[in-house]
Amino acid sequence: MLKKYVPKPGRREYVTFLLLVVEIILFGILAPNFLTVDNLIRVVQNNAEIAMVSIGMTIVMLLGGIDLSVGSVMGVIAIVIGYMLQAKVNIFIIVAVAILIGIGVGFINGFLVAKFNIPDMIVTIATMNIWKAVIFALLGGKWLTGLNPSWGAVTRARVLGIPVLLLLIIAVYALFYYFLMYRRFGRYIYATGCNPHSANLSGINVKKIRLVSYCISGGIAAFAAMLYIARMGSVEMTIGSDLPIACIAAVTIGGTGAKGNGKRGSVIGTLAGVLFIAFLKNGIVILGIPSLLENCFIGTLIVLSVLFDAVTANGRFKKSKEAA
Amino acid sequence: MKKIAFSIAKSRTKFLLLLFVIELIVLSLISPYFFSVNNLMQVTQFGASLTLLSLGEALVMIAGRDGIDISVGSAMSLSGVIFGLVVIKGGSILMATVITLLTGAVLGMINGLLVAVAKVPALIATLGTQYIYGSLALYLTGGIPISGFPDGFKVLSLESTLGIPNQILFVIVPVSILVFILVYKMKFGRRVYLMGTNPEAAKFTGIREKKIRSSVYILTGVLAAVSAIINNSWLMTARADAGNGMEMQAITVAVLGGIGVAGGIGHLGGVLIGVIIITMMNSGLQIANVNSVWQLATLGFILIIAIILNQLMSRYVASVEKNME
Repeated sequence: MLKKYVPKPGRREYVTFLLLVVEIILFGILAPNFLTVDNLIRVVQNNAEIAMVSIGMTIVMLLGGIDLSVGSVMGVIAIVIGYMLQAKVNIFIIVAVAILIGIGVGFINGFLVAKFNIPDMIVTIATMNIWKAVIFALLGGKWLTGLNPSWGAVTRARVLGIPVLLLLIIAVYALFYYFLMYRRFGRYIYATGCNPHSANLSGINVKKIRLVSYCISGGIAAFAAMLYIARMGSVEMTIGSDLPIACIAAVTIGGTGAKGNGKRGSVIGTLAGVLFIAFLKNGIVILGIPSLLENCFIGTLIVLSVLFDAVTANGRFKKSKEAA
Repeated sequence: MKKIAFSIAKSRTKFLLLLFVIELIVLSLISPYFFSVNNLMQVTQFGASLTLLSLGEALVMIAGRDGIDISVGSAMSLSGVIFGLVVIKGGSILMATVITLLTGAVLGMINGLLVAVAKVPALIATLGTQYIYGSLALYLTGGIPISGFPDGFKVLSLESTLGIPNQILFVIVPVSILVFILVYKMKFGRRVYLMGTNPEAAKFTGIREKKIRSSVYILTGVLAAVSAIINNSWLMTARADAGNGMEMQAITVAVLGGIGVAGGIGHLGGVLIGVIIITMMNSGLQIANVNSVWQLATLGFILIIAIILNQLMSRYVASVEKNME
């Protein structure tokens, strides 16, 4: 029997993984405290939300879009969860409401993008600011503290010495990898990202795909909000303000190019990107480099990473040389 | 009635003027102090930096290929910080100005090289440089605002001539006129528009895309540097977070002013009216004591509504014109 044919997008993830390994070895040599189990686990725990949200961002960016509102969306949901926890609402209701809000909010983004054909960035910048104002209105300048959801114990637990949180992240990534690579819906996403016109002609409802991608992004943000509350136990005004950029950085370094490059990238690459940035931040702190320069390193990495993509993408560099 | 509606829908400028009048009426109903010539003149200085940033942003968007510059805000912060450092280290204001303008040009050129020569998507490239510039500005100041400018530096932004704030009269107006001449009276502007409307045609007319596109980004960087100097004089400090959030406002203003995100569409005149509308709104909301978070949210709403209106109007114009044929 013939093996089932599974088309694979361009393999760019290897580069990120290579970089990741080099980075870990480098920091391991330079900073003796880096390669301890405790440190590595702490890094993963501190970046759990970024890891989650980056999945949604990967899907949106595979379609050539971008979602800048994820951070504020996560903030709004975290606050709603916080209030519900204080009111001692049943935990299943809390989870359901959180995910519904996430999907609903994502639907608004997706609806504006797909239906009115407004550029993704403009829509999500606008909704980002609207949700920021909602965060402000909901919190009214105070903090929500002392939140201890019952799922917090689960995420902090360990099975055979491995944190459940880490297993959870790996499981979610595996799930989305499977769906994007081996299920029809995932193929549709790659096809639409590569060429929306031919995708449309081949019978894919491009608008629906776009809409759904934002719903997924919002739903995952709800998931991230739950992890955030479990980790921090409190919510304050600036929640999630750095999140979208961190996720875009991770996705880009992981090889999913923005703007219509469904040709390459996958959630596995994104995971490598998330870990790369997380270890970089950690290493910078351990090595004693001024943390004000942290963003400078990340920015440089983003630029280098897209430069690398631009140079290698389909010999585009060669072509533009000929034209000049 | 239908004729009037059509003419307003067809001309962005008329639509914006209408919006402006409505806004003035609403704001003067909220606060009786608002509608005085003196107040209106003073309000303009809030929009000084935004004007230049939006002009740059609009040009980048007009030049097409999904052009956008997210780094304008942090380019403004960084060049402002460098201005402050030069003055603190004993340089004269003139020297600091020259160095700052050069800094702006270099920051813009980095964006230009990435976008025009290396063909990196503008969004991601400028996102990266936004990180870099903002972080460098923070690092150079150590997070502490630089103050201690000579008293004479106040002349630029804290004093008025004939009731008009100096920075408007002596910087914003002349610089805007220069930009308008460059864009609407010279070859450069035509080329920028052509690149935005039809990149293929632009290529075959022999336009050197890399050169023109890079110069657009450089111009944007220089404009950011100029607004940094004005802002420094206005606050009499150089802050590393001076330009935070400015890119969002600049993009909003450009889109509200009728600049098409796909490139080649829109007029800088609309952008100027857009700046006035946004500035009036911000100061009106400030007078009404509304938190700045809500101002950003209002901006967000305006942005979405402006784009939906853009589309509805162009559809309406197209249908009316079809009927006329």
